[in-house]
Amino acid sequence: MSLRFGILGLLAEEPLHGYEVKTRFESLLGGTWEVNIGQIYSTLQRLERDGLVAPADDRGDRGKLPYHLTATGRRTLNDWLRQPEDEPQPLREEIYVKLLLAGRLANGNVERLLADQRRVYLQRLKDLSGLERRSRDEGRDDLALLVRGAVFHTEADLKWTDAWAEEIRRAPKRGGRQ
Amino acid sequence: MTVMVELTDVRKLYNGGSPQAAVDGVTLTLQQGEFTAVMGSSGSGKSTLLNLIAGLDRPSQGRVLVDGVDVARLSETELARFRRTRIGFIFQFFNLLNNLTVLDNILIPAQLAAVSPAVARDRATALMHELGLAEKQMLFPGRLSGGERQRVAIARALINQPLLLLADEPTGALASRAGEQVMERLTELNRRGQTILLVTHDAKLAAAYASRIITLSDGRVADDSRLKASPEVAPSDVLRLRPGEASP
Repeated sequence: MSLRFGILGLLAEEPLHGYEVKTRFESLLGGTWEVNIGQIYSTLQRLERDGLVAPADDRGDRGKLPYHLTATGRRTLNDWLRQPEDEPQPLREEIYVKLLLAGRLANGNVERLLADQRRVYLQRLKDLSGLERRSRDEGRDDLALLVRGAVFHTEADLKWTDAWAEEIRRAPKRGGRQ
Repeated sequence: MTVMVELTDVRKLYNGGSPQAAVDGVTLTLQQGEFTAVMGSSGSGKSTLLNLIAGLDRPSQGRVLVDGVDVARLSETELARFRRTRIGFIFQFFNLLNNLTVLDNILIPAQLAAVSPAVARDRATALMHELGLAEKQMLFPGRLSGGERQRVAIARALINQPLLLLADEPTGALASRAGEQVMERLTELNRRGQTILLVTHDAKLAAAYASRIITLSDGRVADDSRLKASPEVAPSDVLRLRPGEASP
């Protein structure tokens, strides 16, 4: 979904051809989202079909064609930019399901799994802090803020493993099975 | 590697209505040159642990060795001397003397340890230079920002060239940018060999700067993790926006 709007946003600045869209999109997100060129072309085609973008010129090699935003495209982009996101909180990580199952199936291993998971989160905090610092050093304060978002999420994950471990410590019988 | 601190089954009991263990059977070793963080919620025993290592408190049981010295066996006078010469301490609220200049604050521990004034002066000058305080040396702490005060506290803690620098929530009273600067100074000192023990409840702070994190819970070591330095990790190995859509 946001690849579509990412492309619209980039074309709002200036007309770009497919490969430029790819490199600018990746640099906008600081390398945290790698897209392949095929996805870019197919998305551009869908956007063109929907009348949101148009090739600046219809002659020549399609791959080299710069696209620009249409008036409808600009309106669609502006509507999207104004809307806050309101989706259910995503918790996609398998660890949530893994811990629920580990609590039921093999009581003794939950603590070990929690401890190992906690270390993963601590290392991630270190890696993210490094990335945040590098982004600032490179003058990408916007990217540093994106990384900060991931830091907050990881801090929350850490608190969550601590809460889970605390619960097990206080009431060993209630670790999993209800 | 040289062992700097060695705790063996250390307990510290406090007598309230019934005796409570603030530190309850801790065994751990800190190597020279390590930058270690001790994490834990309030009441987990982390400040007590720091005080035991600093010789501000004596263990109820077990043994605390700092640079091979059994802290509990020292007399009060020896202990005071030990603290002055081997341990540097920085605190959340700086603990500077407001009626002394920056320079005089930094010189206090040297005077107490009877370091010759010329030597002390040279060290203070070098430290102030290193910590970006050279211009501030004749000012009183009241004229300084929080970050500057903490840097004065760092200089004061290092004036006697301690083996071990203990930092108890050193950024707790600072705005985030000033806190980062203080932590960067500590990192730089560590790079040049200073052993540092940081106590904090802040996981990000601990992870960002320390290479080892000890987590206390109910006075016990709940975890002891060594983290890998990650200067050149690719962004997509750490953070991926919408991984489902990102992979081809």
